Parts: sequence; structure tokens; C-alpha cells
Amino acid sequence: MTTTRRAALTGSAAALASLTAGLPGLARAQSKQVVVGTWGGDYGELLRQNIDQPLVVPQGIEVLQDIAVADPRKTKLLAERQARRGTYDIACLSDTDMHMVAAQNVFEPLEMGKLKRGSAILPALAKPYAVPHIYSALVLLYNPSKVTTPPTGFADMWDPKYRGRVGFSDILYSTNTFSAAMAGGGSFSDYEPAKKKLMEMRSLDARIYPSNEALAGALKSEEVWLTPMWLARGFMWQKAGIPVKHVVPKEGAYAIVFEAAIPKNSRNKDNAYTYLDAMLQPSAQAAFADRMGYLPTVKDAPLPAAIAQQISLSEAEQERLRAPDYDYLLKSHSEILDFWNKQFKA
Amino acid sequence: MGSLVLEALSKRYGSSTAVERVDLEVTQGEMVALLGPSGCGKTTTLRMVAGFIPPTAGRVIIGGQDVTHTPPYARDTGMVFQSYALFPHMSVAQNVAFGLEMRKVGRAERDARVMEALRLVRLDHLADRLPRQLSGGQQQRVALARALVVNPAVFLLDEPLSNLDAKLRGEVRMEIRALQQRLGLTTLIVTHDQEEALTMADRLVVMERGRVRQVGTAEELYEHPADPFVAGFVGRCNLIPGRLEAADAFRAESGALLHCDSGAAPGPAPTGAALLALRPERIGLAPDPAGRARITAVTYLGAQTEYHVEQDGTALLVARPTAPLGDPLRRLAVGDAVVLSWDAAAARLLPAE
Amino acid sequence: MAALVLPAGLLVVMLLVAPMALLARISLNRFSPTELMVEATTAENYWRAVQDPYYQQVLGTTLGVALGCTVLALALGFPAAYWLARMESRWKSLATILVLFPLLVGNVVRSAGWMALLGNEGAINAALMGAGITGGPLPLLYNGGAVVVGIVAVVLPYMILTLAAVIEGIPRQAEEAAANLGGRPMTVFRRVVLPLALPGVVAGSVLVFILCMNAYATPVLLGGPQFKMMAPAVYDQFVRGNNWPFGAALAFILLAVTLVLTVVGSTLLGRRYRAA
Ligand SMILES: Nc1ncnc2c1ncn2[C@@H]1O[C@H](COP(=O)(O)OP(=O)(O)OP(=O)(O)O)[C@@H](O)[C@H]1O
Ligand SMILES: [Mg+2]
Repeated sequence: MTTTRRAALTGSAAALASLTAGLPGLARAQSKQVVVGTWGGDYGELLRQNIDQPLVVPQGIEVLQDIAVADPRKTKLLAERQARRGTYDIACLSDTDMHMVAAQNVFEPLEMGKLKRGSAILPALAKPYAVPHIYSALVLLYNPSKVTTPPTGFADMWDPKYRGRVGFSDILYSTNTFSAAMAGGGSFSDYEPAKKKLMEMRSLDARIYPSNEALAGALKSEEVWLTPMWLARGFMWQKAGIPVKHVVPKEGAYAIVFEAAIPKNSRNKDNAYTYLDAMLQPSAQAAFADRMGYLPTVKDAPLPAAIAQQISLSEAEQERLRAPDYDYLLKSHSEILDFWNKQFKA
Repeated sequence: MGSLVLEALSKRYGSSTAVERVDLEVTQGEMVALLGPSGCGKTTTLRMVAGFIPPTAGRVIIGGQDVTHTPPYARDTGMVFQSYALFPHMSVAQNVAFGLEMRKVGRAERDARVMEALRLVRLDHLADRLPRQLSGGQQQRVALARALVVNPAVFLLDEPLSNLDAKLRGEVRMEIRALQQRLGLTTLIVTHDQEEALTMADRLVVMERGRVRQVGTAEELYEHPADPFVAGFVGRCNLIPGRLEAADAFRAESGALLHCDSGAAPGPAPTGAALLALRPERIGLAPDPAGRARITAVTYLGAQTEYHVEQDGTALLVARPTAPLGDPLRRLAVGDAVVLSWDAAAARLLPAE
Repeated sequence: MAALVLPAGLLVVMLLVAPMALLARISLNRFSPTELMVEATTAENYWRAVQDPYYQQVLGTTLGVALGCTVLALALGFPAAYWLARMESRWKSLATILVLFPLLVGNVVRSAGWMALLGNEGAINAALMGAGITGGPLPLLYNGGAVVVGIVAVVLPYMILTLAAVIEGIPRQAEEAAANLGGRPMTVFRRVVLPLALPGVVAGSVLVFILCMNAYATPVLLGGPQFKMMAPAVYDQFVRGNNWPFGAALAFILLAVTLVLTVVGSTLLGRRYRAA
């Protein structure tokens, strides 16, 4: 059986969570169960259809999805890090978030012996504290009928021709800042040039949307022609009839990996390993590629040719991709956020 | 100041009628009481005069002017509410001054008139109190002063005494009447207490189920009730069903033959089923072993003693001033035989309902 | 008796005081990007928040929106409350439920409704463009106006019900007496109804002001990314920035400002009432 619980979390509730997490007697039934902290929407639904139902439930394990966007779940993981019993058995987060939380000693180092599918993982994506689930690349999306000369890099967003036509998703503030840094001659470990470029972008009337969905709406109505985005999103939007094409920027970009990890205070660690194994099954991986356009993270998940052609990256494109500098991001995160909020958005 | 005329005034709520074609004229300086059982339409009539309820039909004329469609604030009526309706956030003086302020009376004159009005109701020493710091009777007098100070064309009172205890009620009743007469106010007062109506008003209007039954002075209503309802409502009355057999003989349904004077009242005597109306205090009573009437109950009320008597199957109430000690009347007890007597002119014939 | 009261009292303390105390403690800590929070006893978070023109502006916006919404809610709520309070009793419970009805829907869902109405492809713009009145979509969403409209719609039921409860206690006959003495409707309102309803005006305004100062979902969803009020800023610090000490300091500043203004405002209004 799969049930969905919704977690609403506010600042003070986060503080309270650390109080209540340690309370005895509130524990859920201890039968075979695994609590998965995840996004809702497509991602949660695909987990349910391709992992929970076909792969985990038949093993007699009940899957509970605890649904929220990433930020409150991150906060909850941090708030509970000293508690004996945590909320989650599996935490799903992006690689940058995962690294940030892992730096606070929240996660169990993975025991490869318990992970049967461990050997199938692409070596480039392997981490000691998390399993890669799916991944995609940061690209520049553009509307081919409006942007008639195909752009080649992030810097093209600053072309005055596109005044008022560049859109950003507010929740991707870190990625957006990265694109500005690269356009301004910065690097994976130096976002400083982003400041000047973002202020330039501000005077070019950039538009900011509260969510990826709102941005998709703006792309669809052709209010916006250019935006930095995950390739997988671009693929989904294209399927939904939104007029976009993509380019892997020549300045270089990073891959985003959606990962899963086991908190140290998980109460069902064995079930959690079973769940991680299921996430790495080829059938599950193929389903995410087909529906959401994310690339498999295991060597043995074949993609149908039609999909592979749309979402795979050429050798040349892969050359331009690198992993983010997690430690730099960890240190600069609040500065990036502050600049985004106080200067760029003000 | 002016007269008040109601013309065929009616109020219907859906299919039910609260007031039905009321015609009434209150002359300058006259005090008229609306009297009737609960729910007969007294308050509704009064509120139509004040303008709070729009009439369904008919007209309200104050001082010769048709005000039927005039809003309450432009009507120049002064109303005293049953609950007093003082403004709780204003002092006694501010309450009384309110109407003068609305009439844009200058400050100096206003203060003088407020104090004069408060002196009139003997409350000038409490001018700065808030209403909640006053007794019920004092609040009542503030309400009076507040309504009087503006010299309204028509003075309206809705059961102004019902929240006072019996003793205070008697006093305030006299005060209101004295003020009304002194100031020459055209006044309409609502009450369901007939003693109140009888003592205060120049004329009474008896209402029943929205209609006016009879209008007249206390004496007219008492001595010459137009119908059995009025006879029964104003004072007490023995109402004996039967029919007139001769000009001076009334045959009760029970068979008893009672004497009367069918010519005493104006107009033709009713033929067919009728009622004989006989006031209890107009019946004489004497102990007589041969008498045809029997005492069924005796009630001693101090100044009066009431006897319930049965004669030939007809029950009658007799009220006599309590006789001095030693008088044979004092010894009358249940079962004793008595003789009843009355003046033929006191027995009025009324049409049966 | 004490045996009965004590556990309940402790629970209340647990639920109300403990999180606040915890928050107060956190606000004195120091933030570190790598370790998140370092134990300390410093007022630097408060100092930084007070000095930062950005947060001064956010607080200013919050105050402006809260005051504006309170005044609007009062202006719109008073006639509605009066009407409700003076309604015949058989309809009153139905009308009360109707007033309460919007509260059955959470702020997030309600804001989604506003978005569907005000968005570029929302009902209003679709209608305007469909009728050829406007060429392109009007920017109805993602601005202060949308937030004010959204918040007023949320707080209006609180204002109406608070006012209606007080207005119901004003004897109708006091109004009739005022009219009878020559008071026109506006004068009756100003001289009798309003002064007697003032306790309700104070209570309703305080309640609504506090709700507005702490509004979260509506400014986030209807204000868009560039519109910032205090509660979302606090949330941002906790959840996005992981800067708990600074977030806690911001939360306490919001609390203090709300408290001071509430006390000052209700005292001033209350004094007026006693003077009247
Ligand atoms: N708003 C209303 N809707 C329907 N019927 C009403 C309304 N107001 C009064 N009535 C009815 O009209 C009739 C007259 O009412 P009114 O208040 O005038 O009586 P009243 O003579 O003043 O009685 P009481 O001595 O009890 O005060 C009553 O039967 C009452 O039920
Ligand atoms: Mg009445």
C-alpha cells in the first residue's frame, strides 16, 4: 500500500520538529515500512508507479511518501539531525542540496555490500553518501521562432535584442547566478562576476517567475524567449507543446543529479536499501527517461532510440559539462541568495 | 405642536395583518391611549407614526402635513421607548442635548434648555452621569426629558412604565400626565394596562387584532361599551348570552329571566341572539333564605368583597364594598341563598359576536 | 485542582513558550555556512537586520500592506457586519456560514484561485482581451495590489464576524431614538453606531493587523518573486538560506513591531472611545 502524507513546514515548525522528533510514543507502526521524503507532482507519481508499486510493495514493504518541495525537507533533515529517530528513511534531493546536508553529517555512509545494484552505477556519478537516481544537464532553452539565430552560450541572454524576453525561475536562483557568472567570465568556483552581469540583466528587464511552472506558462505564451533550465524540463515542455529548443552553453555548464540517501536516524535502514536498489532498476530508470526526460544513472538501462536522440548529449556537449563545485556553493550559498534577493530582485 | 390624524392606516406582513384600517384623530394637546391585548397592533401603529415602519396603506398626518413617506428624522415626533434606548456612551446631559444638536440649536441655548428639561424631570443634579449609573426610574425620566426637550409636534410613548415597579409606576404616571398637560403635548401612549390608560388619557382607543373596536373617554367606554369585547376589556363585566323577550325582560340561555331596559342605550335594541352586560359592582345582593341565587364562592379583597353567585344556571360575579363588621353581608358563606337586584338601566344589551 | 491544572499548564507552556524560547535562543547564535549554527550570545543578527536597508524596506512594505489591508477590511467589513448583525435571525446563521465559507479553503488554494483569476492567461485578462478592450494581458498578478486584494479577502471574514458580534450588542432602539431625535442616517452612524462599535473596531483591527503582518502564502503566491514581506523573508532565511539565527532575529523583530503597534493603536482608539 502506498499512502501520501503532506508535510507543511514553516520556520517555527522546523524548530518545533527538533523538539518533537525525539518524543517517544509517537513512532509509527514498526512493521515493514519505508518513508520517502520526496517532491510531489510528476516525480512522486513516477516513483509510485515505477518503483513503489511494482518493485517495493511486492516485497512486503509499505511505502509512505512525505511530500514537500526541497527546501522544507532540507530544513527538516537539518533540524532532526541530532534526534534519535528521524522522519525519513529515504531523502531525495538534488546533488547540491544533498552535498550541503551531507556536510552536516546527516547521512549514513552507504554500505556497498547492502546495495545490490551498486556496481551498475555510472562511476562519474557515484558518491559515498548518496545514490544517483536520475540526471540531466543545465542548458539554455530558447524559442526558435523568436530567437532566429540559435544562441551558443549564456552570454547571448545579454543581447539587447532580447530585452524583456529573458526569464528566470526564482527557485533556481543558484543556477541562474551560475549562468550569469559564466557569461561574465567567472567559473565553477567563482561566481563573483555574476553580480555585475545580474545587475545588467536587471536593467535589461529580465522577468522572474515564482516557479518553473509559471516560467513554462511564460514560455508557452511567448512572453519569454530565453531561460537557463534543465534539459529534462525542456524535453517535458516540448512534449507539452511549448516552443523551445536547447543548447549546451559554450561557456560550460553542470549536470544536475537527483540523488537519494539514507539519514543516520532512519528507523528502517534495511527497507531503505531495498528502496535504493529499486530506484536503480533499469525498468524504473527507463520510465523516468521516457516521462521526464532524465538520463539513467546506471550502465544497464537501455533507452529507446527516439528518446535517446532527444535527451542524450553528444561527445562534444558532454565535454562542456562538469560537476558543480559543491564546497564553493556551500560556502557562498547565503551570499548568492542574498544578492539574488536584495540586489537583483529588489 | 400639532394634531395627529391617522387615516385608514394598515400594516400587513405577508398574509398576516398587524394593523387594519385604523382611523384616529388626536387633537392638539390631547392625550390618547392605545389599549388592547398583546399583539393587537399598538406598537406597530405607534411605530408607523414615528416612521420606523412604512405603512402598507393609509396616511399619517401631523400638524396638517402628510408625513406618510417622510423619514423618521424629519417627522418631529418625540418618542419614549419601552427600553428607554438611552445612548449608553453619552452622559445624561449629552443624551438630552442630542435632539437639540440635530436641530442646530446654539450652544448656550442648548445648555439652558437641557438643564431646564432635566429640572422638569428633577434630574438636574445627575446631568454628568452615564445612563448605566442611574436607576430604572431615573433612566426613564432621562428618556422623557430627551424626547420633550425638542418640543415635538407629537409625543409618543410605548409602554413607558412597564419596566418600573408598581409604586414607581404610579408616581411616574402622574408625572407624565402633569408634564403633558402643562406643556400641552399632543400625545399617543401605548399600554396594555387599562388602569394606566384610564388614569392618564383623555381618550382611549381599544384595539383588537389590528382593528379599532371603540374610541372614547374612560367613562364612555365603561358606561357604554360598543361591543362585548370592549365591555370585557375595559373593567370587568358579566356577559350573559340570551335574547330579549320584552322591552324589559332578557331570557338567558340557561332559562333565567333577567330584567333590563332596552331603551337605555342609544340606537335600536338588538333582535335575536344578544348579550346582557352587567358590571359586577352594579349588582346589589342581600341575604334571603327564600332567594333564588346561591353563593358559590366569596373572595375578600379588603375594600371590596367579590361573590360568585349562581341563579337559575347563570353564573354571575358580584362586587360589593366590604360591609362593616356585624353587617349580615359579612356572614355570607358558600351555599347561602341570596337575592340579587340591579337597576334596569345598568343592564346593557349588546349584539352577540 | 492544582493536580488537574498543572499538566495542562505545562502542556500550554510546552506548546506556546518552548518554541518561542528556542527561537529566542537561536536568534543569539552565529551563522556559519559550513556548520550552519555556532553557539554564541550576540546581538549581531538583530543589529544587521535593523541596519540593512533591504530589511528596512521589507518591514516598510509589510507595515504598508498590513495597515492598508486593515483599513480596507474595516471599510468593507463594517457595512457587511452591520447588515449581518441586523439581519432577521432565521437568515443570520446562513449568512454567517456564508461569511465563514472562504475560511474553509486554505490560503494556498485560495491564492491559486486568485492566480487563475488575475494571471496573464487568467479569467479577467481573457475576458478583457476576448472583448477586445485590451490588446495584451494587463499585469494584474505579482504586484502589491494583488497581495492587498488577496489578503483583504482572507481577513475580511475575521473583521466582519468580530464587528458583527459587537454591533449585535448595540440596541437597535438606540439608533431609532437617534433618528427620532432628528439624526440623519450618516449622523446616526457617526454619533451612535460607530462609538458603540468601537470596541469591535479595535478588536477586529488588531486581529486583522496581526494576521496581515504575518501573512505568508498570499504575498508569496500573489506578490511574485520581487515582492517581499516579513514572513516570507523569515521563511527564506530559515529554509532557503539555512541561516536560522538571522531568521529568528527577523521573526522577533516582526513580533516586536507588531506588538508595539498593536498596543499603541488600540490604546489610542480606546482613549478616543472613553472621550466620546
Ligand atoms: N416584523 C414583523 N413580521 C411579522 N409580523 C409582525 C412583525 N411585527 C409585528 N408583527 C405582528 O403584528 C402584530 C402586532 O404586533 P405589535 O407589536 O404591534 O403588538 P402590540 O399590540 O404592541 O403587542 P404587545 O402588547 O405585546 O407589545 C402581532 O401579531 C405581531 O406578531
Ligand atoms: Mg408592543
